[in-house]
Amino acid sequence: MKYYLKLGFILLIFCAIASGVLAYINTLTAPIIAERKAREAIETRSALIPGAEFHEVQASDGSIFYEARDPETQEIMGYTFNASDLGYSSTVQTMVGVDPDFKVIAIRIVDQAETPGLGANCTSPSFTDQYKGLAIEDLYVNKDGGVIVPIAGATITSRCIANSIRKKAIEVRDEINQGGGE
Amino acid sequence: MNSKDKLIVSPAPHMHDKTTIPNIMWHVVLALVPALLFATYYWGFRALLLTLTGAVTAVVCEAIIQKLRKVPITVHDGSAFLTGLLLAFNIHVGAPIWLPIVGAAFAIIVGKQVFGGLGNNPVNPALLGRAFLMASWPTRMTSGWVAVKGFAMSGINNLPRIANNLQELSPKAYDLVTSATPLGVAKTLRDSSFVADINAQAGGIDLSGRIFNSLTEMETLKNLFWGNIGGCIGEVSAFALLLGAAYLLYKNIIGWRIPLFYIGTVFVLSFLFGGLPGSGSSILLPFFHIFSGGLLLGAFFMATDYTTTPLTKKGRIVFGIGCGLLTIVIRLVGGYPEGVSYSILFMNVMTPLIDRLTMPKAFGRVKK
Amino acid sequence: MKFTKELTKGFVKDNPIFVLVLGLCPTLAVTTSVINGLGMGLAATFVLMCSNTIVSMIKNITPPKIRIPIYIVVIASFVTIVDMVMAAYLPALHKSLGLFIPLIVVNCIILGRAEAFASKNNVLMSIADGIGMGLGFTLSLVVIATVREILGAGTWLGMRVTPLSYDPMLIAILAPGAFITLGFLMALINMIKEKK
Repeated sequence: MKYYLKLGFILLIFCAIASGVLAYINTLTAPIIAERKAREAIETRSALIPGAEFHEVQASDGSIFYEARDPETQEIMGYTFNASDLGYSSTVQTMVGVDPDFKVIAIRIVDQAETPGLGANCTSPSFTDQYKGLAIEDLYVNKDGGVIVPIAGATITSRCIANSIRKKAIEVRDEINQGGGE
Repeated sequence: MNSKDKLIVSPAPHMHDKTTIPNIMWHVVLALVPALLFATYYWGFRALLLTLTGAVTAVVCEAIIQKLRKVPITVHDGSAFLTGLLLAFNIHVGAPIWLPIVGAAFAIIVGKQVFGGLGNNPVNPALLGRAFLMASWPTRMTSGWVAVKGFAMSGINNLPRIANNLQELSPKAYDLVTSATPLGVAKTLRDSSFVADINAQAGGIDLSGRIFNSLTEMETLKNLFWGNIGGCIGEVSAFALLLGAAYLLYKNIIGWRIPLFYIGTVFVLSFLFGGLPGSGSSILLPFFHIFSGGLLLGAFFMATDYTTTPLTKKGRIVFGIGCGLLTIVIRLVGGYPEGVSYSILFMNVMTPLIDRLTMPKAFGRVKK
Repeated sequence: MKFTKELTKGFVKDNPIFVLVLGLCPTLAVTTSVINGLGMGLAATFVLMCSNTIVSMIKNITPPKIRIPIYIVVIASFVTIVDMVMAAYLPALHKSLGLFIPLIVVNCIILGRAEAFASKNNVLMSIADGIGMGLGFTLSLVVIATVREILGAGTWLGMRVTPLSYDPMLIAILAPGAFITLGFLMALINMIKEKK
């Protein structure tokens, strides 16, 4: 019995040292990681609606979207939000910028793990640029009656992106219209 | 090199037969000629060109690899030719010419010679070649299908009678029946959002139900049987394939168990589960499933390959049922419209297990 | 000299992937592009070198009965360090390697070398072994990734190396392509070894 306690104690010491080292390194890297992530999100938003100032807005369901305002006139230039849905083999996350009339300004795929060579091509500009200027009701792939030409061989991914953006855009629009009425 | 010069040692009883490997292989090739002729008739010279390209590539690759492996070159036995032929039968006429070349090369080199050549391949090389092409160039394999002259690709030419203004009624439904293969139509109609969409477009008419029913109308089935449909080169005409199959069965080159149980399983399951959700089935539905796609080609010419199927009689029944089950599962609920090739490949891999489980007891051995 | 021998044996003679056949899971999963293979290989090399050093240093105070948990604690700590540092300074690579960084913990090469080599040899030799094996691992990943990236995407390290008319063979960057490539390369290595 005493022998096993001793073994446990030795292991405890090893774990304690390891935890100490890891905790120290974590204090060094965690702020950098957090800062980088925040900066990336800001950079993506600014790329979608250039020259705007962003204000966080919390929707009634707890999700967050951003209002883009002109830094000088404080006029609303548009909104950005994250849309995500299950694609073919992963959750595809898209950051979308829309103008005050909810016409798409630009989109960017921020996270996906679709099939390389097929669905993964959704990040290419030839696909994402199609969304520019589309109104909510046009956000369908052409097979579903919209104007978006799906990526060759990856209809499911393309459809998921179009549908997720459309749904989220409607949600955000309803949210804003309600808020405006108050 | 003549194999008769060798001393063959095997346990008694010894029986001699004129059957040789070249004999069998060339008979199978002969049995596929009607299908090739039908394809050439419907699609023109290009079907013949693609097929022969595949077959010749396979022969050349086999010869080169055998030369490199320093083993006797046995391309005259026709097995490579047959592999190339079957592979090209799985490609559609709109495909680029390099597709059968690359596919046949992969089938022979990776599917067959890497494992030691004829008799040592774990799965059917032609189907492996097809799976390779599907994974590598999915768009090339599935888009650019060519309809036979003067027909809607899906073979549903009786549609105008069902809805004579289909194009105005629902453009999406019109696109579907004029641009997809019959199985593609059946598959798309299982997508509930699509169905809701076209029915809404048509102003609440049950358009999807009508299109689905038209799949099993006599006229569609007739088209499927003679070959007025879109599809791969080898699957155009059920009639031509059945002709070849009858010849092989008559010559005793292929066994009846695998095809019978394969097609039988598809028949039963498609009758039970093939209907649209919420509506009944039709006795003609199983015929639609049997005549369309690559089922007949697969059941008679690929699932009967000697090397990759079980040896025992019971095992062959299990094999056939397994193929049928998987084919229907893929066709009805899987991601692809057609599942013959994957189901046969899957069962090929199961073959050693099936053989083990169905091994007959030696005579006199007491059952445990 | 013994040091150089321990350093170079991992390249071909005792290559961790093609000869020892260890650590196949990350090998098959991350070699879809050369940059991923390189990143994974170097991360594993770092962990291997550090864990070998520590394991060798503590070999006299490690009770044999609990040596495996102790090795795992050591390895896991280094992997976590790599994970955090990568997330902070190489976010793009960290994102594309994803789950496979934490999975270095269970990479058989690392525990294998700790158990088979570092726990029996002195610190200097263990470092040499760790670097050598790590670089052998990296080399193998890069070779596999080279084949797969060129065939499957038409690029090498992200640069286009094939003519524009080349239609990439997608299977090469999918899972089956990993197995086929590994098989052919292994056959090639065996052929070379046999000829020697």
